Amino acid sequence: MIADILTGALRSGTSVMLASQGELVSERAGVINLGTEGAMLAGALGGFAVTVWTGNPWLGVLAGGFCGMLIAAIHAFLVLTCGANQLATGLTIMFFAIGLTSFFGREFVSQRIVGFNPVPIPLLSDIPFVGGILFNHDPLTYLSIALVPCLWYALFRKRLGVILRAAGEREEVLFASGINPKLVRYLAVLAGGCLAGVGGVQLSVAFTHSWVENMTQGRGVVAVALVIFASWKPARAMLGAYLFGAAQALQLTVQQMGWPISTFFLFMVPYLLTLAALLVVERRKQSVTPEALGKVLAGDTGG
Amino acid sequence: MKQQAAALPLQGASDIWRSRVRSAGVQAAVLLAPFVLYGLFLLANGVNPWTLYVSMIRSTFGDLYGLGEVLLKATPIILTGLAAALPAKAGLVNVGGEGQLAIGALFSTWFAVFYLDQMSAWVGIPLMLLAGALGGAVWAGITAALKVSGRLNETITSLLLNYVAAYTVSFFVHGLLKDPESFNWPFSPEISPALRLPILDGTRLHIGFAVAIAFAAVVWFVLAKTRVGFRIRVLGSNRLAAERAGFNINRTYVAVLLAGGVLAGIAGMIEIAGIEGRLRPETGADYGYLGFLAAMMAWNHPVRLIATGFLLGMISVAGNTLEIGSGLPSSSVHILMGLVLFFILGSRRQKEG
Amino acid sequence: MKPYDSEHPYQPYLLKATGLTKRFGALVANQGIDLEVKPGSIHAILGENGAGKSTLMKMLYGVYEPDEGTIEMDGGPVALHPPIRARAKGIGMVFQDFRLVPALTVLDNIALAVEKGWRLNRSRLLARIEEVSAKYGLSIDPDAYVWQLDLGQRQRLEIVKVLLAPGTRVIIFDEPTSVLVPQEVEAFLRMLDLLRRDRYGILLITHKINEVMACADEVTVLRSGRIVYTSDRERGFDARSLVDAMMGDKTLKPVAKPPSGREGEAPVLLQVENGTIAGDHGETVLENVRLSLRKGEITGVAGISGSGQRELAEVLFGLRKLSGGKLTVGGQPIKGGPKAFMEAGVSFVSEDPIKESVVPGFSILEHMVLDGIPLRAKGVGIDWSHIRKALDGSAEAKALALAEASRRADRLSGGNVQRMVLSRALIRKPDVLIVSYPSRGLDIGTTHTIQQQLIELARQGTAILLFSEDLDELFKLSDRLVVLSGKRLLGPYLPAETDISQIGRRMLKGESA
Repeated sequence: MIADILTGALRSGTSVMLASQGELVSERAGVINLGTEGAMLAGALGGFAVTVWTGNPWLGVLAGGFCGMLIAAIHAFLVLTCGANQLATGLTIMFFAIGLTSFFGREFVSQRIVGFNPVPIPLLSDIPFVGGILFNHDPLTYLSIALVPCLWYALFRKRLGVILRAAGEREEVLFASGINPKLVRYLAVLAGGCLAGVGGVQLSVAFTHSWVENMTQGRGVVAVALVIFASWKPARAMLGAYLFGAAQALQLTVQQMGWPISTFFLFMVPYLLTLAALLVVERRKQSVTPEALGKVLAGDTGG
Repeated sequence: MKQQAAALPLQGASDIWRSRVRSAGVQAAVLLAPFVLYGLFLLANGVNPWTLYVSMIRSTFGDLYGLGEVLLKATPIILTGLAAALPAKAGLVNVGGEGQLAIGALFSTWFAVFYLDQMSAWVGIPLMLLAGALGGAVWAGITAALKVSGRLNETITSLLLNYVAAYTVSFFVHGLLKDPESFNWPFSPEISPALRLPILDGTRLHIGFAVAIAFAAVVWFVLAKTRVGFRIRVLGSNRLAAERAGFNINRTYVAVLLAGGVLAGIAGMIEIAGIEGRLRPETGADYGYLGFLAAMMAWNHPVRLIATGFLLGMISVAGNTLEIGSGLPSSSVHILMGLVLFFILGSRRQKEG
Repeated sequence: MKPYDSEHPYQPYLLKATGLTKRFGALVANQGIDLEVKPGSIHAILGENGAGKSTLMKMLYGVYEPDEGTIEMDGGPVALHPPIRARAKGIGMVFQDFRLVPALTVLDNIALAVEKGWRLNRSRLLARIEEVSAKYGLSIDPDAYVWQLDLGQRQRLEIVKVLLAPGTRVIIFDEPTSVLVPQEVEAFLRMLDLLRRDRYGILLITHKINEVMACADEVTVLRSGRIVYTSDRERGFDARSLVDAMMGDKTLKPVAKPPSGREGEAPVLLQVENGTIAGDHGETVLENVRLSLRKGEITGVAGISGSGQRELAEVLFGLRKLSGGKLTVGGQPIKGGPKAFMEAGVSFVSEDPIKESVVPGFSILEHMVLDGIPLRAKGVGIDWSHIRKALDGSAEAKALALAEASRRADRLSGGNVQRMVLSRALIRKPDVLIVSYPSRGLDIGTTHTIQQQLIELARQGTAILLFSEDLDELFKLSDRLVVLSGKRLLGPYLPAETDISQIGRRMLKGESA
């Protein structure tokens, strides 16, 4: 049973994890994007549609990433070029994307696809207990796990990451180094949207193999919250996402076991867990919030 | 803010008029552009936007019933809009109207079903309203507590709590509050007819609309004319200055969030007592978000909010028309709302500069 | 790494400026400046605050474009604006307010500034940092975060950045010793000497004469935007002539406030005993603070910037808690934030009023009730006409030429904002006034008025704590002086028993000034 929950943690946590890594890139550059929810939805639908049309889930991944990027581009334009309030813009995008995807998604609601399926890694997946949990997943999940150390390396060991983080801290210093901070932020938001889109693809093409209206159910919002919980560190965001996934997997297990716990209570557990995690982190109070982001969260910029 | 009215002495009267005309033109363009864009979008998808817009106008202003439907939709949007606008004036981004409405509806139904069943309208309805207000305040109180003592950003917590609220309502209508005669459908028993809000003849419009307008007026008065409102506006405009003026910032945050919760909770009560008569999992869904958007469109101004709430109400009703007439999902009008908001958000800086 | 120019081996100078002029509106910041920077030579630019030093160096670093005049390098005229061009020409600058990202490590900051591209060869960069720091005695921990560093370490980091930037041959130092403690000043001067031996051309912007005497090969003195004196080692220069050139007809003697004629010690209104004050990251900024503000007295606070002025001011208005020790107002300990302090009679003028006091969208009149004119109720609302009358009848506002009351405060100039917050504090006539940098950004006439008003306020019984960068101002106004230096609050000293140079030495712990 524990193995089931842990396997499920990875399986249903991966979409949130990808989105949170994307949001992390964006927030490190100083832009918070609640539209992540919208980018995930767009990615989920785009990826699903292309998989239906072509039968090739990898093309679906490309399409989903692209759709996520398009949604993020709206955010980037409104926030960075027009100077709009980040939180309000993100929410509007979330709302807009719900409408957009339910409009374009109506013909896909009953479709079924093959999509991505678990590919056990030879030998490793035979290891008792651990093998089943870690080495029996769809290819997108493997890729997403590999992404985290890569992202860490790029963020903290490469000049690219230094530039990105400087954009979220002191743009004038970046400017003095001859780099345009606005451009860096644009790229970060787009990259974030792309990853959120791919997260959406994982949800529709690899996890559920279906498209349902508003299927992300707040996963994008959770991804944003997890980034804060993770103090903007990729590995911790991954951990948080899997925790969220585990809470979701718990529902299925409890239902299978026939325990007398209301499913609706179990449905809220992931969100409550996210809130609790945020609270714990904030209690330990640390000054790691990127400066530009701190201003947004404290409401010190734009009304 | 009457002190602001004085014009810069250097500017000639004709210049002022010219700039006013220009800014009015910009504002009109900002409002019209999304409708044009959405029209093109519909056109590309085989729906004639002209018919939609015409039917939107006609169903709104054509007869009393249609107007009533729009006002019916506008009522909760205005109230949840106030729930967003009031905290926004203090510099907070409260998106919790959705959940606060749901819990307000839950509380008011609970009280109506279990305690107020035998009461007359004169006692029962106000008590039910109080219960709704209490529910909204409790839910907003969580956000407020997390904000003040946990220093968590209210936008993220209120958003997350919306999902929790939806599941909480589902939990009750599937369990403790389920109608025993519902044949397994998840909804509550019907509330007593005495608790239903009075209705205007020939429509479904109930007195709740007047309540919403009254609250908008109250919020406007508080913000514009009272000392509390002055403090709220100073805080929203510059937190550091408010701190240096000796204002109790946390108390103000808690107060505006709770007041917002009360307003959204009342919206939930009105949905139950005015329209549905019983609680379903979908009761009032989306009104919280629509209210937030209406508040953004109105620059968080309570009186302008009545107009933007009305507009969003019109678009919502049009969504239903669209669904029946063209087979498009009603949520596709969210695209239109999103576009309207994008233009308003994007044009804000020019306005302020 | 050596800046020796093999392509132009016989060029006698690295950089030559001729007739540089820069105007800002009607103000002429620099007029006809001629200047040469030679390899292996330290050229000091000396002048008082506002003499035009910083405009000049910003032109040489490409921040400003000169209105007139030319700059030559390698035997031909060059355009240095924007700074990225100046850097490409080998000009580096060590700023006073550092161009660093606090949340990044030393290594990251260096990588950001001196490397190119996306990638980063950490070990190679580490080796280069190691080499430069060993060579010039610039010890620095590459893995430390910048926010952990003190000002001296940050300056060393800035210097390392400049030295590692490709092709640096001219280095401009902007008031480098203002952030250093005495031991560091010695090390800094030794490092300058090493740089000189390696044939760097050095421009040293300063207002400290003994530094110039200690290290400069050439000296140019600016006053009111013009060169008033030049000399070099061969021709010789001495401290006396430098002082005369800098000051012009002004005298160095401190202007003491006329004696107040009070007898005995005035009662203490605000007192800190054994106070410990923490900074934004929890680090100790000041410890063992003992401070008494007395009725009718002005206590001046001197210190190099960043010595804890902001933190001390915030503690005295309840914006920051004492992390140790005791604070009393009127003999009573105070619990709570600014509200409690305001009720106890304390008022506060912050050092950055545009950021901390101006409420966008609100008029001057509306600002008056925020820690100023008492907010008079009218039903549930505010009696604005009463407040307007109080403001219109205020001699203080008139004296300061406060702008029209209905104007929006966020559209005022910096000077007018300063007038607004000061009028507000003066009108309130608090028991205790904490005022930071009252004359910053104001013309001489207004500065004079404000100083008069503060003296008048003190005469009426207010205890004033005055933070200022201007020692002349402090001496002119203060009944007592305290000095912030090395996490300590020194003093109080009586202005009549000390002088500017003694206070200056205490600011730098016995050196310079």
